Amino acid sequence: MKKNIVLVFLVLMIAFSFISEGIASAAAKGKLIVAQGAETTTLDPHKGGSAIFVNVCITMYDLLIRRDREGKQRLALATSYKNIDPVTWEFKLRKGVKFQNGEPFTSRDVKFSYDRMRDPKTKYPFRVFYRGIQEVQIIDDYTVRVITKKPDPVLLSRLAFGAFIVPEKYIKEHGDEYFAKHPIGSGRYKFVKWAKNDYVELEANENYWGDRPATIKKLVFKTIPETGSRLAALQTGEVDIATNAPPFMISKLEKNPKIKVVSGPSGRVIFIGFNLTKPEKAGPLMNKKVRQALNYAVDKQSLIKYVLMGSGEQLATPLIPQAFGYDPNIKPYPYDPEKAKKLLKEAGYPNGFETQFATGSGRYLMDKQIAEAIVGMLDKVGIKAKLKICEWGEYEKVRKSHKVEPLYLLGWGNTMSDADGTLVPLFFSKSRYSNYVNPTLDKMMMEARYQMDPEKRKGQYSEILKLIKDEAPWIFLYQQRDNYGVRDTVANFKQSAGSERMDCDVLRLAK
Amino acid sequence: MQRYLIKRSFQSLIVILGITVIVFMILHLTGDPTDLLLPPEAGPEERELLRHELGLDKPIYVQYLEYIKNICHGDFGQSFRYQTPAFSVVMGALPATIELTMAAMILSIVVALPIGIISAIRPRSYYDTLGMTFALLGQSIPVYWAGLMLILLFAVTLGWLPSTGRGGIKHLILPAVTLGMFSTAAIARFTRSSMIDVLDADYIRTARIKGLSEHIVVLKHAFKNASIPVLTMTSLQFGRMLSGAVITETIFSWPGVGRIAVQAIYNRDFPVVQTVVLVASVIFVGINFMVDIIYTYLDPRIKYT
Repeated sequence: MKKNIVLVFLVLMIAFSFISEGIASAAAKGKLIVAQGAETTTLDPHKGGSAIFVNVCITMYDLLIRRDREGKQRLALATSYKNIDPVTWEFKLRKGVKFQNGEPFTSRDVKFSYDRMRDPKTKYPFRVFYRGIQEVQIIDDYTVRVITKKPDPVLLSRLAFGAFIVPEKYIKEHGDEYFAKHPIGSGRYKFVKWAKNDYVELEANENYWGDRPATIKKLVFKTIPETGSRLAALQTGEVDIATNAPPFMISKLEKNPKIKVVSGPSGRVIFIGFNLTKPEKAGPLMNKKVRQALNYAVDKQSLIKYVLMGSGEQLATPLIPQAFGYDPNIKPYPYDPEKAKKLLKEAGYPNGFETQFATGSGRYLMDKQIAEAIVGMLDKVGIKAKLKICEWGEYEKVRKSHKVEPLYLLGWGNTMSDADGTLVPLFFSKSRYSNYVNPTLDKMMMEARYQMDPEKRKGQYSEILKLIKDEAPWIFLYQQRDNYGVRDTVANFKQSAGSERMDCDVLRLAK
Repeated sequence: MQRYLIKRSFQSLIVILGITVIVFMILHLTGDPTDLLLPPEAGPEERELLRHELGLDKPIYVQYLEYIKNICHGDFGQSFRYQTPAFSVVMGALPATIELTMAAMILSIVVALPIGIISAIRPRSYYDTLGMTFALLGQSIPVYWAGLMLILLFAVTLGWLPSTGRGGIKHLILPAVTLGMFSTAAIARFTRSSMIDVLDADYIRTARIKGLSEHIVVLKHAFKNASIPVLTMTSLQFGRMLSGAVITETIFSWPGVGRIAVQAIYNRDFPVVQTVVLVASVIFVGINFMVDIIYTYLDPRIKYT
């Protein structure tokens, strides 16, 4: 019997060592593999609605204008643009561009694409960003005009975000369903294979109009939802880039000399909102001094250093530095518990008060732990906050009905990198997500929304942000940082500041 | 027998119909899927449009009746998220899950039966203690942890096996071991106790007195009789594996139905969740049905009327 067990073990050993030869770094063969935590649900660029989907589409499809990794807008399929009047934008288009099936790109494709994504029947989740477009006009083969319903200073950002250009003739000939299975774009990479729930494989488009990263022949997006498994695949060399490395894994990953963790500020703001829509429930929080006191009572630097292990950057206002309208001259509330106590005393609450505080768990980086730490900090100035931890789906429901607890922890991503996209949804009194009512602020935000002069607009947002900071409808906390695990096979990985977007098509392999 | 088959088929149908009602109702209680399908910036106008497009603006009983009607026509609805037929989304992932489940099942049986039988022949021997310790571990270690530890050891540290994805045999080993671990332990323990019971029986003593070789006594006389409860247990394990696949597929990013189900639940993709549950329950009910029939072959005394 004993002999048999030894024999079985030996056979297994040999078998293992035999098959393990097959596992070698893919990068050697001109292949780059990127592991993301979720799958793109579609390759039709007007049907998906997630950052993961955008990351895949941006490599296959072009846009008139692109946002680069530094956050700047660069011309892509457009060669120039100008405003004829505040609502009319004229774009000159690049000549000689071909779709991956050989079809030439013209203004007809732009009109077709923009009409398609705006059509409710297409069910484009990002349609909301384009509903301000009135119509798209073809002037000649290489000139189009986009006419908006109202002046829209954010239009270029919108077009750079998800207004992908698709081939009109091809889709009209073959239909939407066929197109989703055999997608054709004009981007740096073209479609090869989609093994659903596993990976999307692309190959370099030899006829791309711009410069091509010649070292990469194949680009693969792999789906590995479990964080531990995703990072294990990075360590074994099965993938070259892995997204969302949690802060506590950074030092472990970096012990491997072939792995580097690249981090940078994401587009996500984390804050504690005050529900001020129900004065009887909000109680003391209706008083501005109390709200300011809470801002002084929370030590954001410690939260970032000890709870987030460095994966955050303190913010003075709701706006991240990468967004249009940010004002670096507005400084955050410092940590000052004495000042907090003084303000509470002035407001008539020398002994503090009791309140409720809600948070989700596992939605944002260390969200529950952050909330728990804040409860402790508030306790030091006499405020007893009772913490309630909610299931996310339930939390979403409550939060949107203005029935959420007086204090609630939440995150917000700034999709367009523009002040309007953060401030209006979160502070405009009629917005679903706003739990704050201030007619003066409403008026200021609506004025800035339609201001076409960037300098004037910047000034308007500066005033708005000063008002918001003073009124303190939130405890302003921080901006999360994103951490990517990257192997040394990749030459030029860079985190896009203020965004979850990865521009994988511009990556190169290391020599 | 024929009457029994008809009766059982009818019962199975009722069970599956019941499952569709429960799943349908629970799903619709979990909230509005448009919240998760649209970006937070979307306003009431977009929301209403989408609700209408998805048919969510009708009363729930109307939605359910339409759902059942469509199923009878072979239409399982469009996935909210993928915007393709839910049935093809699930069926596309089914082969991967069947491959994994089968591998795990075969592995379990091949490992568990010998352990169980040998432990039963020599109770309280070193072999028995060793086998049952393994069985105890297999049943008590959480699948999630075991999967990650296997990845850490065999993929990250030793570099023998890939950590994720579906490919050849080498991709299958770690997930199959992880998924099969609990069942291996359960079947081994069950085989052991069932065999011990049988080995004590009079007819085994008779067989031994007749002078039959121990080999034949154990495998032919004892094991065949011990196998009925083992078969029941094993078929139950099959059902457990279908649910265990949800975790295993997530850890190893195995592109199967379990992964689809998890994603669909997160995204409130109702048609896909409903189809997954329906397909899984049909498989489960079908296996139970088959096992009942296999009984009659193993033990001619069992007769259904």
